[in-house]
Amino acid sequence: MSDTYEYILKTEHVSKRFGSLEVLKDISLSVKKGEVICIIGPSGAGKSTFLRSLNQLEKITSGKIFIRDELFLHREDDHTVDRLPKEKQQELLLEMGMVFQRFNLFPHKTVLQNVCEAPIVVKKEKKDVVEARARQLLERVGLSEKEGEYPSRLSGGQQQRVAIARALAMNPEIMLFDEPTSALDPELVGDVLKVMKELAETGMTMICVTHEMGFAREVADRVLFMADGIIAEEGTPEEIFTNPKAERTRNFLNAVLES
Amino acid sequence: MKSQFFKKYSKQIIAVAIVLVICIILAALKPGKDELLSRTSPEMQKMIDADASSSRKRVTITYNSLFIINYASISTSGANVMSEKYVGFAGKVYQADEGAGKFVGQMVNYTYRMLGCGENLMHGAKLTILLTTLTVLFGVLLGTLLALAKISKKKLLSKLASAYIFFFRGTPLLIQLFVVYFTVPGVFGFAWRDLFNASDAEAVYKGAFTAALIAFALNSGAYCAEIVRSAIQSIDKGQFEASKALGMNYAQTMTRIIIPQSVRRMIPNVSNEFIMILKDASLVFAISLMDITTISKNIMTSEGSYLVFIPALIIYLVITAFFGFIFDKIEKKFSVYE
Amino acid sequence: MKKKIVAVICAAVMAMSLAACGSTEKNEGAAAQTTTNDGAQATANDGTDAGAGKSSNIDISGVKLMSDGVLSVGCEVGYPPFENFADDGTTPIGYDIDIITAVAEKLGLQVNIINTAWDGIFAGIDVNYDVVCSAVTITSERQETMSFSTPYVNNYQAVVVLANDEKEINSFNDLDGLSIALQKETTSDELMSDYKSTGTIEVQIVANEKVTSCFTQLQNGEVDAVVVDSTVADGYINSSDAFKIAYLDQSEPEQFGIAMGKDNTALQAAINQALKELEDEGFIKETSNYWFSGATEN
Repeated sequence: MSDTYEYILKTEHVSKRFGSLEVLKDISLSVKKGEVICIIGPSGAGKSTFLRSLNQLEKITSGKIFIRDELFLHREDDHTVDRLPKEKQQELLLEMGMVFQRFNLFPHKTVLQNVCEAPIVVKKEKKDVVEARARQLLERVGLSEKEGEYPSRLSGGQQQRVAIARALAMNPEIMLFDEPTSALDPELVGDVLKVMKELAETGMTMICVTHEMGFAREVADRVLFMADGIIAEEGTPEEIFTNPKAERTRNFLNAVLES
Repeated sequence: MKSQFFKKYSKQIIAVAIVLVICIILAALKPGKDELLSRTSPEMQKMIDADASSSRKRVTITYNSLFIINYASISTSGANVMSEKYVGFAGKVYQADEGAGKFVGQMVNYTYRMLGCGENLMHGAKLTILLTTLTVLFGVLLGTLLALAKISKKKLLSKLASAYIFFFRGTPLLIQLFVVYFTVPGVFGFAWRDLFNASDAEAVYKGAFTAALIAFALNSGAYCAEIVRSAIQSIDKGQFEASKALGMNYAQTMTRIIIPQSVRRMIPNVSNEFIMILKDASLVFAISLMDITTISKNIMTSEGSYLVFIPALIIYLVITAFFGFIFDKIEKKFSVYE
Repeated sequence: MKKKIVAVICAAVMAMSLAACGSTEKNEGAAAQTTTNDGAQATANDGTDAGAGKSSNIDISGVKLMSDGVLSVGCEVGYPPFENFADDGTTPIGYDIDIITAVAEKLGLQVNIINTAWDGIFAGIDVNYDVVCSAVTITSERQETMSFSTPYVNNYQAVVVLANDEKEINSFNDLDGLSIALQKETTSDELMSDYKSTGTIEVQIVANEKVTSCFTQLQNGEVDAVVVDSTVADGYINSSDAFKIAYLDQSEPEQFGIAMGKDNTALQAAINQALKELEDEGFIKETSNYWFSGATEN
């Protein structure tokens, strides 16, 4: 793999339509390695859709996606104009780990099996190697003693931390977080944010869709404010939170921070 | 784990053990075949002796042993019908030509015949159980493939699966059975029994059984397909997304994540399907096989005895209860994580 | 839009065809209730015109019938040449049908053939029909529970094999080690089951509900032989070159009679008289010649 790329992830003019509804309008974003980006904005702004289109859970209508400066996908009017070969695409997709709002742990597998599943099945790694790594990761998220439990026995916060460990087990270069704390009881949010913060400190490239303004302010290198399918404003946390330029950003922040 | 099991079911286990011990004692006390037949009257004995040197034998000797009780009948055919019946139980031999003895003898004989004891594997309760379990097994396998085909994004595959399901659910099993057994070999010029060794006297039954199993499995596959499909589609979409985000391909996602989770949701419906097939198994009368229902019906028409339905019902209930228990265990095993 | 039109047309066609079916059914029902089946009568007339249709003066005043003026007949249609459906699939024809129709005419009655399964056919006497005329063998066991007319045909047990089969079968004992098909609960079944249960021969018996299944199995090669009434064997050999009679057992002849309720002696007497008249007129002989050949006598 070449390390001589400028951007680890880049989108150009990404648009997404559901029928006549335009969810994403011409979004361009460049992410450097090690950057932590938080995407905020009102619900229905297209934040999650944008995040999910980065790792192909959603199909974009048009636009280009680059990974490590390589053209990963180019679509126009719902047709694929150009893309990497399937195997290469798959390989690059593995560089992105994803954490979902609703955890999506595999309920029929124990915590340890959840973490080990993909490396063993997808990367064909040896079971003992993976298990050793998985135990380290579980320790890192503070759940060592839960490795034999089924997810249904865990609290939401614990489940989300397992989900993070599961994504990390694939050794991704980028982590995508899709509102990771929105489904949690307030008292459980802190543990998850702590893990994410520690992860950011290790230099992981992260893109987080979040409603936790405190977290965004403290951890993010860059904050994007999305509304109606466009990036309405972008800047450092300082710029966005203390001196937002766009009126909509101001209204949104006022509404969120007041409550 | 094991000790827990014993603790939970201690009363039941003791009860079963006591019944078992009593049965073993009774079985040991049961008079032997020779003892039963030694009661044969002199006239009958004369007939038996005459048979030894005759090419057309006239005496039918029936001996049915059912673990704790046994029954023997000696009868002749022809103009002057003679018949003697005995029941052996707990060390004694009883006459069974009338009254309670006759009733007990009939019950033993009917049960023995419906269980298919002393017959080949493709007979009576053995046939019913064998056909039903194999049908469900193949039906679920075929149904899973059909379900995957039906929910597949490949239009042609999906259409084909839908057509298959439509066809097999939309036509009666009896006609499908006729087609597989009579029409297909007629058209393609082969015989089902030729699939088996020509020197095997039972090839004719094995051939019919094979045809029955194919027809039943093809039919059950269509029903199971819908069961599997609805189970798969009841799995949270997030499971597919998580698998995809982790880089699993479709086959890996299905076999490792989705289907294992679907199993538990299928079990109640598969259990229903099992009971349906158990009853439908009587359709094999159409291709000359005899299951429990067919045998009981035959006994009823040939002997005019309506009592035959008592053991028939009991046998069915025992089978249903046993397999209900098994399905329950499978369901529990697959839902430990909930 | 197009789809809608198609759907409407389909619905209309469906409704029309249902209505049509409904009306034909009604007509058929009425015909069966009141008149002798046309097809059966036509065939009877084809076969012979010696005695059929000639009225008689047999006294039936003491006879109790399920419905006045109609002789209801239970019959398992599907046992050629005794009874089978004509090519139209609804008209019963055959030797039994001709005989019972002629008997009823002698008695001044109309015939209503009620197609019923062989299983439990005797339980239907005096419940669903007055008599059973369905190739019923007169046996001592059956005589305990029902009355029979005088026999109207003699029958033997025959072993039928494929025409190109070169097996030598000179007695039932030669069936040792073979697989045979036969119709369930028939004389053939009783006989061969007895051969098996007494240990005379080791034979694999394949018992079917319908005799037609036996011949399909023979043709498909599932079984080696069919054991069946000689009268039935005749019918099959007449209509197909694929089969031949390998052995005819003349040692244990059996006779077919019309079965009726045990107490229905008036009807029994009337039917016996009708059969006697038909015999004297040569009707039975000619009908037999028409339906059977070779093996069967009367």
